[in-house]
Amino acid sequence: MFKTIKSNFATADVEVKRQDLYKVVIKYDRLSALIDFLYNNYTYKILNAITCTDWIEEGHFALTYLITTEDRSNTFMIQTLVGREDTKVESFSKKFKQAQIMERDLHEMYGIDFIGNDNLKELSLENWVHTPPLRREFDTLEFVNEHLTFREGREDNVDVKAETKRLRALKKAQKEADKKAKEAADASALKENEDGK
Amino acid sequence: MEEGFLLEQKTLEGDLNSETSHQSSVDFLMNWFRKRSIFVLAYGTGCGAIEMPPTFTSRYDAERLGIRGAATPRQADVIIVSGYCSYKTLRRIIRTYEQMSNPKYVLALGSCTVNGGMYWDSYNTIKKLEDYLPVDMYVNGCMPRPESILEGFIELQKEIGAGKASSWQKYEENHEFYRKNQEAVLGEKVEPSYEADWYLYEGGL
Repeated sequence: MFKTIKSNFATADVEVKRQDLYKVVIKYDRLSALIDFLYNNYTYKILNAITCTDWIEEGHFALTYLITTEDRSNTFMIQTLVGREDTKVESFSKKFKQAQIMERDLHEMYGIDFIGNDNLKELSLENWVHTPPLRREFDTLEFVNEHLTFREGREDNVDVKAETKRLRALKKAQKEADKKAKEAADASALKENEDGK
Repeated sequence: MEEGFLLEQKTLEGDLNSETSHQSSVDFLMNWFRKRSIFVLAYGTGCGAIEMPPTFTSRYDAERLGIRGAATPRQADVIIVSGYCSYKTLRRIIRTYEQMSNPKYVLALGSCTVNGGMYWDSYNTIKKLEDYLPVDMYVNGCMPRPESILEGFIELQKEIGAGKASSWQKYEENHEFYRKNQEAVLGEKVEPSYEADWYLYEGGL
């Protein structure tokens, strides 16, 4: 199986991540063929998840399809790299029904277009007109500063670490001062006692 | 010093307010009735909703203070905004709040409603609830324990008894201000069109 996959679909070896988890990185144009191959020749019938990672430095998205066997004993991670701008990807919603909502989610969060998916409406956002929020060029803090107002009083909060350090140092100094005072008092008491004798 | 159960019992038995002299006897009576029968909308909007079942069930038993659940917004007096409030939830909260009949009160729970809490830099969560709805009582904490919620309720009862809690009037008077803020984050005109179109639109959820 691994040999066929390597010779027909991938350029790299199939990586055995765990006993029941295999991973292969392939070119995008072989994705559909590989999924068909696993679906038809083996029992990989369940699409677990479609995930997307934004590699902004390299300039691409990594789409990962997790496909599981019918008895759920083995999982195949098929990773493919696609461009970041105006990404158009083939939809698997006809083959796997659950892909519909996964692709809808990815469309909302990353702006990837899935061709063949008939409902790519917003899932958890409403009336969102800005950059898709999980793309890494989207700066949440900047967005919040622009669109929302903070309650006054947050800006004078103290750094917890520095404050703890300061308080500890104060406590230590106080303790030492107490100790010195006590020693001095003891010494004077002793002296008084001796003088008395 | 009395605390915990004893304090609550004392509050329950004693008069909840001393500043009633300015009210007419009808007002006083009406407020007394109101403070002793607070119907809370059974609606949880965030993680804080998890603290509400123990508050209302036998362990803390809010009903001994006259606080109990209500099934629909039309019968409820208080809406609890329990925890973080995303834009999507905010739209539902506003809709629910506007369906409630006067007098109505808002109890905001948790630090997220006060200043954003741990979602202070989230793109999808509002930071100050009072910009969008008139808040009668904030109960801070992450999450506040049922004791805190009860204390918030008792404070609310005191305000109602004294005739001070009048947030719904504030909402009506400053309606434009609230609408402007609501529309700024929700991105469209918020007008109550009481039809079932918002979840049965084409394609559906």
